[in-house]
Amino acid sequence: MGLTVTARVLGSAFAALVGPAGVGETEAARAAAAIDGRPPRWVVRPRTMDEAAAVVALAHDEKLAVVPRGAGTASGLGTPPERVDVVLDLGGLDAILEHNPEDMTATVQAGVTAGALAARLARYRQTLPLDPPGWAARTLGGIAVTAASGPLRARYGTMRDLLLGVRFVQADGVVTWGGARVVKSVTGYDIPKLLVGSLGTLAVIAELTLRLHPLPESEATCLVSVDSLEGAQALAAAVVDSTLQPSRLELLDSGALAASGLPPSAAGLAVSFGSVEPAVRAQQAALTAEAARAGARVETLGPRFWTTYDRMLARTGSTVLRIATRASRLVETLGEARAALGGARELVATACAPLGVLRVAFDQGEPSRLAGAVERLRRFVAHEGGSVVVERGPATLRAVVDPWGPVPPAALTLMRGLKQEFDPGRTLNPGRFVGGI
Amino acid sequence: MALSPDVVARLERIVGTGALVLTAEGRMVYECDMHTFYKGAPDAVALPVRAEQVQEIVSVCRAARVPIVPRGSGTGLIGGAMAPQGGVMVSMNRMVSILEVDLPNRCATVQPGLINLWLTNAVQDRGWFFAPDPSSQMVSSIGGNVSTNAGGPHCLKYGITTNHVLGLEMVTGRGDLVQLGGKTVDGPGYDLTGVAVGSEGTFGLVTAITVRLTHLPEAVKTVLAAFRTVVEASETVSAIIASGMVPAALEMLDEAIISAINAGTGAGYPEGAGAVLLIELDGPRAEVEAQAERAAAMCREREALSVSVARDEAERALLWKGRKEAAGAVGRLTAAYLLQDAVVPRSKLPQIMREMIAIGERYRLRIANVFHAGDGNLHPMICYDDRRPDELARAKEANEELLRACIALGGSVTGEHGNGLDKGKNLPLQYGEADLNFMYRLRRVFDPDHLMNPGKLLPSHPACGEGFRPLRPVLPAGAWV
Repeated sequence: MGLTVTARVLGSAFAALVGPAGVGETEAARAAAAIDGRPPRWVVRPRTMDEAAAVVALAHDEKLAVVPRGAGTASGLGTPPERVDVVLDLGGLDAILEHNPEDMTATVQAGVTAGALAARLARYRQTLPLDPPGWAARTLGGIAVTAASGPLRARYGTMRDLLLGVRFVQADGVVTWGGARVVKSVTGYDIPKLLVGSLGTLAVIAELTLRLHPLPESEATCLVSVDSLEGAQALAAAVVDSTLQPSRLELLDSGALAASGLPPSAAGLAVSFGSVEPAVRAQQAALTAEAARAGARVETLGPRFWTTYDRMLARTGSTVLRIATRASRLVETLGEARAALGGARELVATACAPLGVLRVAFDQGEPSRLAGAVERLRRFVAHEGGSVVVERGPATLRAVVDPWGPVPPAALTLMRGLKQEFDPGRTLNPGRFVGGI
Repeated sequence: MALSPDVVARLERIVGTGALVLTAEGRMVYECDMHTFYKGAPDAVALPVRAEQVQEIVSVCRAARVPIVPRGSGTGLIGGAMAPQGGVMVSMNRMVSILEVDLPNRCATVQPGLINLWLTNAVQDRGWFFAPDPSSQMVSSIGGNVSTNAGGPHCLKYGITTNHVLGLEMVTGRGDLVQLGGKTVDGPGYDLTGVAVGSEGTFGLVTAITVRLTHLPEAVKTVLAAFRTVVEASETVSAIIASGMVPAALEMLDEAIISAINAGTGAGYPEGAGAVLLIELDGPRAEVEAQAERAAAMCREREALSVSVARDEAERALLWKGRKEAAGAVGRLTAAYLLQDAVVPRSKLPQIMREMIAIGERYRLRIANVFHAGDGNLHPMICYDDRRPDELARAKEANEELLRACIALGGSVTGEHGNGLDKGKNLPLQYGEADLNFMYRLRRVFDPDHLMNPGKLLPSHPACGEGFRPLRPVLPAGAWV
C-alpha cells in the first residue's frame, strides 16, 4: 500500500518534469521497456536535456536506479541489472543541433540516429564513418556508450577517434561539458574518452560533437574468395603491409559468406576502397594482382553489398561474441572458438582483419555449456591481453557468465574508483558493467 | 622543501648514487622546460631504468608526501616538466629502449624516454612509421608526447598522439603498476588508456607505451602557394577542406615569418607574399596526383602569387625547408616571444587572422604566425623586447585577448602543446565550474594524495578543490505533490 502511494507520487513528479505524455506507467509500457525481463517502474521520456537532467536528479535523490536507453538495440549487452526503476528513454532528444560543413563537425543530441545524421550529411557529401551492425537505427549516444563499431573502423577508427566533445548529465543531475567543438584540442582532460564505452554507468550523454569525414567520390567493393581461412588471413596481412588503403577489410568464414548471399568458399575477404575514381581502380587492380599471386578469385560486388552485410550482422545469431585478439592470430582463435562451441554448431564468423577483432554469431545453446565455452576462449586469448565480450546474448546466458570477462585487478580498482567518485549512489545502470560496476 | 636524508637514502638505494642528481648545479638543468618563464628546480632527480624502480620511487615519495614530476626530453612548451613545488623529478632519459616491434600487428612497445623519431627510424625501411610528428620529434620523447597528447603538422590526416596509443603501463598516484590497454583493442571496461593520454603526469608515471604504427603511403605530393594576404590564404584553406580533401598537412606561414626566413638561409619565398600555404597530400598515387592538382587549381583560382608543385623528393624537401626553419628564423625578428596554440573552427580562420592583425596593431606588437591551418590550430608568436618591461606586460595582455577571441569563435585553449602551468589558468575560459570540478574529481581517482605533478593542468580555482558543489538542476515547484 505504502509503496503504491510512493510510486504514484513519484510518477506524478516525473510527469511534472517531462509532461504527462512523457511518463509510461502502464503495465504494457513498462513491459515493453523491460531490461533482461525486469520491467521498470516508469519509462520517462524527456524532451530536452534539461528535462533529462531533472529526471536524473530526482531519481538520484529518491535512490532510484536509472537505465538510460537510446534505440534499445544493444539491450542484450551487459550483465543483467541489479535494479531497474526508471528507463530513461533518450529517443526524444533527437535534434541535430549544428552541422558546420566547412569545419566538418556536427553537434547532435544523444537520441539522434546514425541514419538520420547520415541523411543530413549526405547532402554535403560528408559522413560520420561509424557503421556498427544495424547502425542506421541506432542512436549516436548509444553507439558512444557501447563503443560499438563496424567494418569502417579499419580506416576511420571508432567513436573514440571521432567524438570531440560531449555534454552529459552526471549521476546527481549536474549538466557537464567536456572536450571541445573543434577538431583538435588537448585542453584539460580528455573527458569524451572516459564516456565512450562506459555503458551509461558514469553519466548520461546528452549531446555529442563529432568529427566528420568527406564521403569518398568513388567507392568499389571486391570479394576475394580464398580456399582456406589461413589463406584469407595471409592475404589480409599482405594488404595491410602494403600501400593500399582499404576503407573496409572484412574476413568472412563460410557461414558468413552463405549468410550474406555470397558464393560458397572456405573464406572470403570483402574489401572496399574509397577515393577518387582512378585511385579506386588502381587499388582494385593491385588487390586483384595480389590475390592472383595467392591463387584467389576476385569479383566486384555491387554498391548495395554493405547494406546487405550490415543487415546480416544485425540479424544473425541470438548470441554474438566479440573476441579481440591479434590480427596475426585471427584464424587460430576462430579455430578455438569452433572447438569450444562444439563442432556441430553453425557459426557465422566475421572479422575486422587489420585489427584482430573477431565476431562470432550463433543461435543459442544451453547457457551453462556456452558459459564454459566462453571461459575457455577467454583463457585462450588471455596471454595476449585479448578479451571475449558477449556482445549480444539472452539474459539466461549473461546471468551465468560474466558478459565482459575479467579486467586486470589494478585496472579494475581504478574503474571502481571512477564509479565511486562519479556515481557513489549507484544511480546509473547499476550492476551492468565490468566487475559489477 | 628539502628532502629528508631518509628519503634521499631510499632513492639512492633504488636507482644508485650515480642516477640521483642532488647538487644545485645538477638540479638547475631540470628547473624548466622550453617555456622558460616558469622555473622550479626539483629537490632531486632520479633516473630509473626499469618500471619497478619507478614504482619504488613513487612508493617512497608517497610515504613521505613528496611531489613527483615526470620528465622526458624537457622540450614541452607549457611549464610541465618542472617542479614548482620541489620534490622528486623522475627523468626518463635512461628508459629509451624499443621493447618490441610487431609489424604483423602494426604496433610497437617502447619505453617512455625513447625519442619520437627513433621509432620511425627503426621501422621505416620496412615500410612503416609512427605518425605523430611534433616539430620537436628529433628530440622529444614518446613518453612526453603521450603526456601532453602531442600533435604535429601531419595530425590533420593522421590524428594526434592519442589516436595512436594502444596501451600504457604506468605507475599511478595510488602507487600501483597498472597495464592499461595493450596490443589488442576493445578491452572491456572504461577506456583508461584514452583518459590517461594527455594527463601530463598528473595521473602517474608512464613506464611503457604500446603504439600503433602506420604504413608509409605510396606517394607524397607537396604544393606551395604564396598569397598576397593571410586572409586570402585562410579562405583557401577553408575551401580546400570544404572540397572533401583531407591533406596530410596544411601549414601556413605569415608575412613576418616569410621575411625572416627569406632573410636567413632563404627558402626563396616570393617577395611581397603575405602568406605561404604548404599543402601536403599523401596516399595512393592516383589520389595524390588528382588532389594535388585540384589543390593547386584552387590556389590559382584564389589568385595566388605563385603555386609550385614539388616534382621529386629534393624539391619537396626544399618546399618544407622554410617551414622547418620557421622557429629558428623567429630569432631574427625578436629576442623574445610568447607562443600559444589555441584552436579555432577552421572556417573561422579568416576572421581570427583579421582579429589577430587588429590585436597586434592595438598593442603595438608584431605577431608572427606559422601554424597548422588545416585544423585551425594557431601558433601566434607575440614578439616583444625583453629589455623593456612594459612590452612583456603588453604581450601578455595581447595573448589573453587573442585567446579569448579564439574561444569566442568556438575554439579551444590548446590544440597540441598541453596545459601545464602555463595554460591551466586559462581553462575557465573554456569550461564552467561543473566541468572543471569533474576534471578535478577524475584526477583524484588516479592521484588521491595530489602528489603527481601538482599544480599542473588544472587551474587554481574553487571548482578544483575539496568541498565544491556544482549547481544541480532546480526541480520546478509542483514536481513534488
